[in-house]
Amino acid sequence: MLSIVHVSKLEKTFHVRRYHQGRWASLQNLVTRRSRLIRAVDGIDFTIEAGELVGYLGPNGAGKSTTIKMLTGLLVPSSGRLIVNGFVPWKDRRHYVARIGAVFGQRTTLWWDLPVIESFELHRHLYQIPTGRFKRNLAEFNDLLELAPFLDVPVRSLSLGQRMRADICAALLHDPELLFFDEPTIGLDVVAKERIRNFIRHINEERETTVLLTTHDIADVQRLCRRVMIIDRGKLIFDGELARLLERFGGHHRLIVDFAESYAEVAVIGAELLSYSDQRAIYRFDRRKITAPALIQAVSERYAIRDLSIEEPDIETTIRTIYEKRLL
Amino acid sequence: MRQAFDIYRRLLGVQIRSQLQYRVSFSFDLFSAILVTATEFAALALVFERFEQIGGWTLGEVAFLFGLLEISFGIMDMVFGGFDPQDFGASVRHGSFDQIMLRPAHLLTQVLGSQFALRRLGRIVFGAGVLLFAVTVTQLDWTLAKVLYLPLVVTGMVLFFGGLYIVGSTITFWTVESIEAINILTYGGSYLISYPMHIYQNWLRRIFTYLVPAIFLNYYPVLYFLDKPDPFGFPAFAPFLSPLVGVASFVAALAFWRFGVKHYQSTGS
Ligand SMILES: Nc1ncnc2c1ncn2[C@@H]1O[C@H](COP(=O)(O)OP(=O)(O)OP(=O)(O)O)[C@@H](O)[C@H]1O
Ligand SMILES: [Mg+2]
Repeated sequence: MLSIVHVSKLEKTFHVRRYHQGRWASLQNLVTRRSRLIRAVDGIDFTIEAGELVGYLGPNGAGKSTTIKMLTGLLVPSSGRLIVNGFVPWKDRRHYVARIGAVFGQRTTLWWDLPVIESFELHRHLYQIPTGRFKRNLAEFNDLLELAPFLDVPVRSLSLGQRMRADICAALLHDPELLFFDEPTIGLDVVAKERIRNFIRHINEERETTVLLTTHDIADVQRLCRRVMIIDRGKLIFDGELARLLERFGGHHRLIVDFAESYAEVAVIGAELLSYSDQRAIYRFDRRKITAPALIQAVSERYAIRDLSIEEPDIETTIRTIYEKRLL
Repeated sequence: MRQAFDIYRRLLGVQIRSQLQYRVSFSFDLFSAILVTATEFAALALVFERFEQIGGWTLGEVAFLFGLLEISFGIMDMVFGGFDPQDFGASVRHGSFDQIMLRPAHLLTQVLGSQFALRRLGRIVFGAGVLLFAVTVTQLDWTLAKVLYLPLVVTGMVLFFGGLYIVGSTITFWTVESIEAINILTYGGSYLISYPMHIYQNWLRRIFTYLVPAIFLNYYPVLYFLDKPDPFGFPAFAPFLSPLVGVASFVAALAFWRFGVKHYQSTGS
């Protein structure tokens, strides 16, 4: 297999200092040192194949960023095995990071006082990118991300959306084989988010770059990821196709029908009637048991229909239920 | 190595250009740096107004110690600005160190290239002025060996204090609370060795001889430059230990730094 990421029994614990409270707190803090152990990542296993685009989800504090930081060589794991692209990231940091790209949505890698283009130039030297390739990449990304209007503006004057586009471009100029995104769409408006999603998809499809991304925006997942992994309190609780996740948890579609006449009773076999009033009925059905056309046919055989529509299962609700009820 | 130097040069270019963008604040910083050093020297000179000598040394002789230290510390502060524990601790807390780790260049190159406080030039230039004054009034007897050795002494001190900065920065990987302690060591130590070491109590001087061998950085070389006798009877090579002490402390500091990086925790958000 062409697995590019191998993670097994990976753990990261943090000692977080506990401070005394109350009257003598500052004196006690000076004299004694108490700490609490946090298992940010608590023994996870997964592999990622070359060319995959995987969404990494989980509630706040679940351990997503900590995982990404280990994968990018920033943190040394407390235990477990981690091999990415043939490297143990933290051991051979310099050679390893030359072949990956990482974007942390809350941070910038660009130089605050420099015009964007000069930060890119610095990257060209840092990553020793051949001039021809640098120019080609820059031209391509410029087209897709529309960087031209602000290439010569200092980073400190960019809007959040512009800065994010510039950061993403910077992370890709050296043709990384693997990309890590930690909340790349955080704080952006709908249009900006969409542009970044399209770009990530483009990179994944055209360049076959492997992508792992964390996000709290379900639309990112819906648009981009076939496969998702969900982590909660440091443990991986789901790893598989998004479609399967939806099937297992709240994978119900809804059929909404407006009838041409008033019927006393509109039940059909194979679907559950959720509500019926004012000549409108809402059915819930499981697509594994009955297909949409079959259901529509069943309804239209018995009743006169004026209009109908089908609603996909709502991912957001599904994920929220998983987080809240800790279903898995 | 050549690539590292090329990167360092480019990063420095960024720093210098950024600083010159804020011209007013730069001139102000430069001016205040001179003022601080000048005030310190004035305070020293005032002591001589009353006592004429400190531990048997004249103003010119103490000015030699002071000037040499100011030049060295100024150069160190300029070159190792990225490792100033205060600033480095902030860059760890704000996550900029994460970004440094993500780039395929040596961490040392990048941290050194992340700051270059040009305003320290004020301190260096003033220190050079004081040294010149000292050389003139003591009518120093130059030999070729002395001329060649002077830059080595400066290098020794730059490396020693640079090493202290690195140790202080490394400690911020674990805690930011000890920054004050390190600062006291760095600034206090540098202040201490700008006076002739024989004026201190035995216990203090012993600490700075055997525990932290700072006495060899400045005091012993100056005994040699000024052709003064050694009051403590160390072997004749004692004045020439300065570069060695500097290099040894720097190497030790780097080893500690490498150990610290493996324990880097990044930030929680
Ligand atoms: N450097 C650190 N020092 C101490 N604790 C940390 C550190 N980094 C993370 N943690 C803790 O580890 C846990 C996991 O944090 P992490 O940042 O990985 O979560 P996350 O899934 O990225 O959350 P979010 O969605 O809020 O970004 C949290 O309890 C966090 O407080
Ligand atoms: Mg996070």
